[in-house]
Amino acid sequence: MFSFIVRRILWTIPVILIVSSITFLLMHSVPGSPFTRERALPAAIQKNLEAKYHLNDPLWKQYIDYMYGFVRFDFGPSIAYRSRTVNDILAQQWPVTATLGGVAFLFAVCIGIPLGVLSAVKQNTLIDNGSMVAAMLGVSVPAIALGPFLIWIFALKLKWFPVATWGSPAHIVLPALTLSTAYLSRFARITRASMLQVVREEYILAARAKGLREVVVNLRHAFRNALIPVTTIAGPAFADIVTGSLVVEQIFAIPGIGKYYVQSIGNRDYPVIMATTLLFALIIVVMNLLVDISYAMLDPRIRYS
Amino acid sequence: MAFRTRKTESDNEAAKAPRSRSLTRDAMRRLMKNRGAVAGGIILLLFIFAAVFADFVAPYSSTEGDILDNYAAPTAAHPFGCDFMGRDVLSRLIYGARISLAAGFVGAITAFCIGVTFGLISGFFGGKTDNFMMRIVDIMYGFPTLLLIILLMVFFKSSFSVSGVAGGGFRGMLSDLDRSMGGMFFIFLGIGLTSWLGMARLVRGMTLSVRNTEYVESARAIGTSRIRILFRHILPNVLGPAIVAQALQIPGFIQYEAFLSFIGLGVNPPTPSWGMMLSQGYLAMRSHFHLVLWPAVAISVTLFAFNFLGDGVRDAFDPRQTR
Repeated sequence: MFSFIVRRILWTIPVILIVSSITFLLMHSVPGSPFTRERALPAAIQKNLEAKYHLNDPLWKQYIDYMYGFVRFDFGPSIAYRSRTVNDILAQQWPVTATLGGVAFLFAVCIGIPLGVLSAVKQNTLIDNGSMVAAMLGVSVPAIALGPFLIWIFALKLKWFPVATWGSPAHIVLPALTLSTAYLSRFARITRASMLQVVREEYILAARAKGLREVVVNLRHAFRNALIPVTTIAGPAFADIVTGSLVVEQIFAIPGIGKYYVQSIGNRDYPVIMATTLLFALIIVVMNLLVDISYAMLDPRIRYS
Repeated sequence: MAFRTRKTESDNEAAKAPRSRSLTRDAMRRLMKNRGAVAGGIILLLFIFAAVFADFVAPYSSTEGDILDNYAAPTAAHPFGCDFMGRDVLSRLIYGARISLAAGFVGAITAFCIGVTFGLISGFFGGKTDNFMMRIVDIMYGFPTLLLIILLMVFFKSSFSVSGVAGGGFRGMLSDLDRSMGGMFFIFLGIGLTSWLGMARLVRGMTLSVRNTEYVESARAIGTSRIRILFRHILPNVLGPAIVAQALQIPGFIQYEAFLSFIGLGVNPPTPSWGMMLSQGYLAMRSHFHLVLWPAVAISVTLFAFNFLGDGVRDAFDPRQTR
């Protein structure tokens, strides 16, 4: 188990290295520079600016410099926002995205999983069918359709929540709901399917035969084991939610990292693009790692050599 | 998994025999009993019909409007109203179905071709080749897909299109192609290049298991060439489940297109795309909600139908699942 974890952690290094190399190359092969303007800058100024940000170095040197900074967690200066470093920007924007993603993930887990259990326990009743149709709807409505809808109902008509932007806890509700709906529904569907599978196992029959109460059978015996497939998707779902925050940040004009990413691509702000991609890649890799480890902990039958 | 080989005479006899049913027909029967899936299928057929025959179905042009009609509220002449340029929303929705469905299907086909080829090679050759190719897939899984697809779209759009020297060589050809498709070509490419990983893994796994079956072994024993084994014996067995798995991804691709068009990296205006209609309507939402409502409904209903049908197909072909 220990050597498995060590090997998995070491494996993240080439993954991150290659992801960053591909991003670096792709990014630099997009035409245009951070200093491309409608009215061209005087050549001397352009040259000085490029020298300042080392953009006239050969590409391999820029890459090595960048990677050297990266291992020290120094992402360099932002090009579009002159006075700020990428670290400043990340420190400011990342908490916003993380909060939004975290709240959305909590919604998804705390509503989706109980809903799935309830549906499974009440299989083929009105509750089950109703919540499964709702879950299907939740999977189907994309954020760019749901977001404006929620804004119209809850912000413009009912005036319960602010329309957009960021600041107070009330600002979090609508975007978090928009972001979580698809995953909430997915959690509900998978929990239900997994519960129904587990309930047919023999140890559940044994637990019933012992005369345990239905609640205990369902929660202690069935639910715990039904959680295994749910955990498998929970890790990637978290990574997806945080990445998907990019969509929601566009709709609700939230100053998070995703909104910055789209702007930075327009501005060719290379350091910001790199740092954001690496950050998200890191989250994905870590989440996949956690899933593999938690897998082994939840199900003692799984052993890694 | 439906193992399909060449039809022989005994197969034909079996088909005539009264009580035998093929796996596929059995699955179809189960599918037809699933009311949600049937409803989803009918809705999809309607949308596909509207998309294909948009020129006849749509009451107005999708790209040209009457400026006097801008922001017109829904009336008898324009049942869903008009947008900020006076274009009929209903007509744009109907033409938009083309874009969404094309993104879903062609995106799926592109990703399918890459994934199946990759997985087939990896599984068939095995050993070091397999190991190397699967590590590539593992690494690609580390990419944040949404970020990568945005970067790719910017890369395609600005390195092929903006340069303005269309007609020059390969790049010019690609850019012309993309322009003639209203910006769709790069969307297909972007979706295809980022979404083949799951398919590659699936096909590789199935290829490995089919490769070790007795009939492949006997084919090898009688001296069948590797190429023939690959295309005659392995590919047909892998194809069925792979197609089902890929069909389930279509709603995701439709969402990618809508999102890309929403942030302005998708289709080129004035090509009507539901995502672009949403982003334009969104700006005027406070006073003209119908501009957001109908595209939102259209895309949601489409995805809803796809998901219901997809669920039905999966349940029908996999009887082990409980329902």
